[in-house]
Amino acid sequence: MKREEFAPMRRTMKYIRAITLLLIAMLTSCQQSDYDFDDTPQGNLDALWTLIDQRYCFLSYKEELLGFKWSEIHAKYSAKLNQNMSRVQLFEVLCQMVSELKDGHVNISTSLDLGRNWSWKEDYPENLDTELREQYLGTDYHIGSGLKYTILPDNTAYVVYESFSNTIGEGNLSDMLAYLRLCKGMILDIRGNGGGELTNVERLSQRFTNEKVLVGYMCHKTGKGHDDFSEPKAEYISPSSSVRWQKPVVVLVNRSCYSAANTFVRNMKVMPLVTVMGDWTGGGSGLPFSSELPIGWGVRFSASPSYDAEMQHIEFGIKPDVFSSLNESLAAQGKDSMIEKARQMINGE
Amino acid sequence: MRQVSLSLLVLLLLFESTSLYADQTAFEPVSKRSPVARALLIGIGRTNQLDTYLSPMGYRGMQLSFMSQSERMTHLCNRQISFQSTFYGAYTSTENPANTAKNIGGRLAYDAGWHYHYSPLSSLDLKGGALVGADLGFLYNNRNGNNPAQGHFSADISLSAGASYFFRLWKIPMQVGYQADLPMIGLMFSPEFGESYYEISQNGVGHDIIFAHPGNALSFRQILTVDVRLKRIALRIGYLFDARQSQVRSLKYHDVSHSFMIGFVRHFQLMRIKREE
Repeated sequence: MKREEFAPMRRTMKYIRAITLLLIAMLTSCQQSDYDFDDTPQGNLDALWTLIDQRYCFLSYKEELLGFKWSEIHAKYSAKLNQNMSRVQLFEVLCQMVSELKDGHVNISTSLDLGRNWSWKEDYPENLDTELREQYLGTDYHIGSGLKYTILPDNTAYVVYESFSNTIGEGNLSDMLAYLRLCKGMILDIRGNGGGELTNVERLSQRFTNEKVLVGYMCHKTGKGHDDFSEPKAEYISPSSSVRWQKPVVVLVNRSCYSAANTFVRNMKVMPLVTVMGDWTGGGSGLPFSSELPIGWGVRFSASPSYDAEMQHIEFGIKPDVFSSLNESLAAQGKDSMIEKARQMINGE
Repeated sequence: MRQVSLSLLVLLLLFESTSLYADQTAFEPVSKRSPVARALLIGIGRTNQLDTYLSPMGYRGMQLSFMSQSERMTHLCNRQISFQSTFYGAYTSTENPANTAKNIGGRLAYDAGWHYHYSPLSSLDLKGGALVGADLGFLYNNRNGNNPAQGHFSADISLSAGASYFFRLWKIPMQVGYQADLPMIGLMFSPEFGESYYEISQNGVGHDIIFAHPGNALSFRQILTVDVRLKRIALRIGYLFDARQSQVRSLKYHDVSHSFMIGFVRHFQLMRIKREE
């Protein structure tokens, strides 16, 4: 081949080399995580602290309400670390650190244990005796997916919903309301309901209103700053196109009503003909997200806050319309004082 | 090994049975005598994934993939322009550094476009052009509760360039090929930093479609292949580097894989059949 025949090829190879170098340079800028922490006690604490600092949605609110500074928390718990500590000891320190947030949606999950702060229910009377509740249901009660219901002797509908994780279908709700249609009113007992799916909350709430009602607001974090939030989006409940309840309702609650159950109570508070009775709910108004630490432990935290219709926080629970508690001496006689009080209200006594 | 041989045999049979063309021609550049080249490849490799919507930790593991590619010369610009279409699929299984959580991923991508060919030497074929493509995938984390999976969608226009060199080694015709594709503009799906599924469903997916460009979604694919002429077909082995990445809405994502590819290429001559009156 003649020398001049190589000239175009040399020129071409020069371009190819330049393009290759450019591409290599571009690829070395591959996206890397900002979360570059070692799997050491300090590295794991730094990772957890950063995760909460950047992604936890109630930090500013809780710093003000609970009187701590998250920036100072890092130093406080770093002082408890040492290089030779065991996994169990590290787990304890990390759990103590996030317990400062007093949030049931913040957990550290390991093969050792589930790190948690359940003070929202453990520090208060339970106000629930499940055996007593079963006596009211009897043995011939109906089960519609997660709903248990019966008609009490005074013609009051009694419905128990133990978890919003139990999916309820439109058919279940229509059949239940049709069966209970001749009752004077309804006691909807959600004591002990620790939450579940928001779709079940919406589906059930829709049966208690004849018009579209504003029930609250929701937003989410849009960045790593403590106050980087999206515009609060109004949440409405539209009436179901199927059977709807048109009579008085008493929703029985206790401190164990958490997360989705707390949201349900928020919704029911603005519905007509509804009275919320019992103790404060447990709260838990942040929709949780999952993440993890370098050591491989899972972390759950609140990521998207929701508010009530007045744009007030409901993270620490919702106040009932009527306070009521379980009377131990009446319970010994086989009577649930909270159910009895609800029956009296429905009967107008 | 036996499974690999069996897979190759199945691939070959599949490839043969789906041929709709006739008159196999000499082993030549697609821009010369062989107007149509069809390749079917399977691959195995390593992948490195990061999706900060699911986890701040990088996950590593294996990838299985397949690629079906066809290229044919058109009559445009005096037969200097070819049309290429590529269908690509991948399955990934990766673990976090502590091996306590797993990601399962899947991806389907299709792109098609045109290349202008230039041959400075009789044995060298250079090409450059543009591709239009779409990419759909998911990543599922087996431990996450309220954010267990992330969907990935993008549609983009890429710049594409490549080269093929033809030679004989021990009298066997061979071809070394290279192609690189670089997405330049497009649209992609990304939730906001802490946006939950519930809010995504309430806000509508359209709220989370954003403009993508190399500044926020620098992605790149390159493949280096060697074709060895067998009797009726060519054996193709190759190395595929595929990097999809983005940094939008304070979320980072990357899926960078290196795969060894193997398969077959067949060259065809399209025939026009005249109907007898």
